[in-house]
Amino acid sequence: MTISRRTMVKMAGGVALAAPAIRGASAQATKTITFGGSVPLSGGGAETGLNVNNGYATAVKFINEMGGVEIAGTKYKLELKLFDDASDPSRAVTLIQRQIDDGVDFYLGSFGSNIVLPTAAITERAEKPMVQAGGGSDQIFVQGYKYMFGFFPRATRQFLSTAAFIKTLAPPVQNYSVIYTNDAFSKTAATGVMNAMKAQGIPMLDSYAFPETITDASSVLAAIRAKTPEALICMTHDQDNLLLAKQMIATGTNVNLLFQGLGPQLGSFRDTLGKAANGIYFQTYWDERAPLKDRFFGTSAAFAAYYKKNYTRPLAYHVSAGAACIVTYLEAMMAAKSIDPAKVRDALANIDIETQYSRIKFTEQGDGDPVVMGPWVGQVVGGAPEVVSPANAKTAAYTYPTPPWAQRT
Amino acid sequence: MLAIQTIADGLVLGGLYALSAVGFSLIFGVMGVVNLSHGALVMIGAYLAWFVWHSLGVDPLLAIPVVMGVLAVFGYVYQRVLIQLAVDRSSHVASMLVTFGVALMLRNTLVLVFSPDLRSITPSYSGHPLVLGSIVLDPVRLAALAASLVLLGALAMILQRSKMGRVIRATAQQELAARLCGVNAHHIYGLTFAVSAAFAGAAGAILGIVLPFSPPDEGLWTLNAFVVVVLGGVGSPAGALVGGLVLGVMSTGTSQLIGAAFPNAMMFAVLVLMLLVRPSGLLGNAFAGSR
Repeated sequence: MTISRRTMVKMAGGVALAAPAIRGASAQATKTITFGGSVPLSGGGAETGLNVNNGYATAVKFINEMGGVEIAGTKYKLELKLFDDASDPSRAVTLIQRQIDDGVDFYLGSFGSNIVLPTAAITERAEKPMVQAGGGSDQIFVQGYKYMFGFFPRATRQFLSTAAFIKTLAPPVQNYSVIYTNDAFSKTAATGVMNAMKAQGIPMLDSYAFPETITDASSVLAAIRAKTPEALICMTHDQDNLLLAKQMIATGTNVNLLFQGLGPQLGSFRDTLGKAANGIYFQTYWDERAPLKDRFFGTSAAFAAYYKKNYTRPLAYHVSAGAACIVTYLEAMMAAKSIDPAKVRDALANIDIETQYSRIKFTEQGDGDPVVMGPWVGQVVGGAPEVVSPANAKTAAYTYPTPPWAQRT
Repeated sequence: MLAIQTIADGLVLGGLYALSAVGFSLIFGVMGVVNLSHGALVMIGAYLAWFVWHSLGVDPLLAIPVVMGVLAVFGYVYQRVLIQLAVDRSSHVASMLVTFGVALMLRNTLVLVFSPDLRSITPSYSGHPLVLGSIVLDPVRLAALAASLVLLGALAMILQRSKMGRVIRATAQQELAARLCGVNAHHIYGLTFAVSAAFAGAAGAILGIVLPFSPPDEGLWTLNAFVVVVLGGVGSPAGALVGGLVLGVMSTGTSQLIGAAFPNAMMFAVLVLMLLVRPSGLLGNAFAGSR
């Protein structure tokens, strides 16, 4: 049989006309919940942004592999529509506005308070929920937003448990100095350190404010060597903390307790410092050995195993938090028996569940409950990040005072 | 004693600023091109040094010749294929836009190849502070300063004493006259760009042992180079050295006397002042006299 050119054109036209109808039939069979948002996959926040992104992607992949989720008798598949905001708030704002215009109903947060703050303003105006694990600045939570929910307690509340831990150390910590940078998160986090340490009765020697990016800390370290505080608290970002630690090692600047809120959790940070990383304190919100239950993943360990099977990038607490954002959304939708944004928002406001990341409960202003979702105290022990406080999550004994840099093994 | 420590720290930092800016200064002086991809070239140097150190265990200072060689070839091709084309077909402003676009592409290529994660080079001699009385110095930064001075000295010698240096200077001063004497100006511009890229790569290798780095840092090093050139003057290693040292001491001094939050503010205040009072920098434009 031969097919003429005219027949061929007719067949092709027929297929082209039928395609939308076929797609429509397929869409009716499986409904989809779309999560929009932006994440920094390039730019200054990309290292942790990639971790948050992997967390979102892990949860969506896992739940879709399970066959989706059933909400009020209807089965849904999940879809992610995340775009690279390049760590640029203005670009993130444009991306989110475009998704609002496209009719996306549910949003996941970017990484970095400077991006979460303006993007949350847009989703709030559109009355679409945002669940995020990337912004902790107080400014995000004092705007009166009703549709924004953050996993981290606001920055000024993040140091409460660490200050209480420091108070228990022997010999007692007599004084401390604090280092921070002039950005939305770091500045408020340093205020939180000052308030929390004051409440514990530990006096401050000095506070040092740096510009947003640190390229040299030699002058500040010279001043620290001259006064030598017993504890040095760095509420700066990963790259700044690595620079500070390297310069402290290189200039023999020793303190009994070095706390760096961000950085020591990352493998690249610990690899760079080698043995010298041992003893550095940090905050962590999750450990794969934590005895937590999750409706979808089962346990923290099971989540970690699934992630490691699918990704080569090292696991970090932001990955777990990202995945928990999706689980929290789904739990809220199941509780609301609806995927109406306003009803899901109300369910999120009242949520109190356990996930592989943590128990999830928000304050009235939308940040993580500081008691339920507050950080644990970690320390690098034998090259690995360990939890040293509280007792029920502890994975290793702490070292205090930490030995001088040159004597660390 | 704190004052001496501050000046010592500033000089060490200034040496790094100087080396990171000299390539930018040379291109600006010789070709009149503002190379906004300069910081990206510095970052490529840092990543190449990191790769050689991480995979072969070679000290980054020893890897400098290899890094310079790779960047020189890249720089020559980049200038001949893209920048010269933009200058010939349009203007120097077009070449600036081209370098901006290339910087974005190089930054994202580095993200794709090396990931956005922080990298840092930790040679065996780091972590052993050098104590001179009450002054404490970082041996890594001292080694970096020494390497910077050697490289800046070598560049000055090349420009002053070698045949290639004389031709570069002649082309920068009077392109038409150089052409009439048989100089292939396009080839010389390519060579100038190759030398500049090589020195940017060397600066990256040295900065990699001093600072943690990631691809987005390229913008910072372009900006620093710009400030150093405005301070010191265009087109010569001496101008870059003076600008770098002034910037370094000013940075640590401001940090110590006013506050650690203010070096950038001071840097830009001085930048504006210099542009108003002496726009050609402290040592002036090395080639302006003949133009």
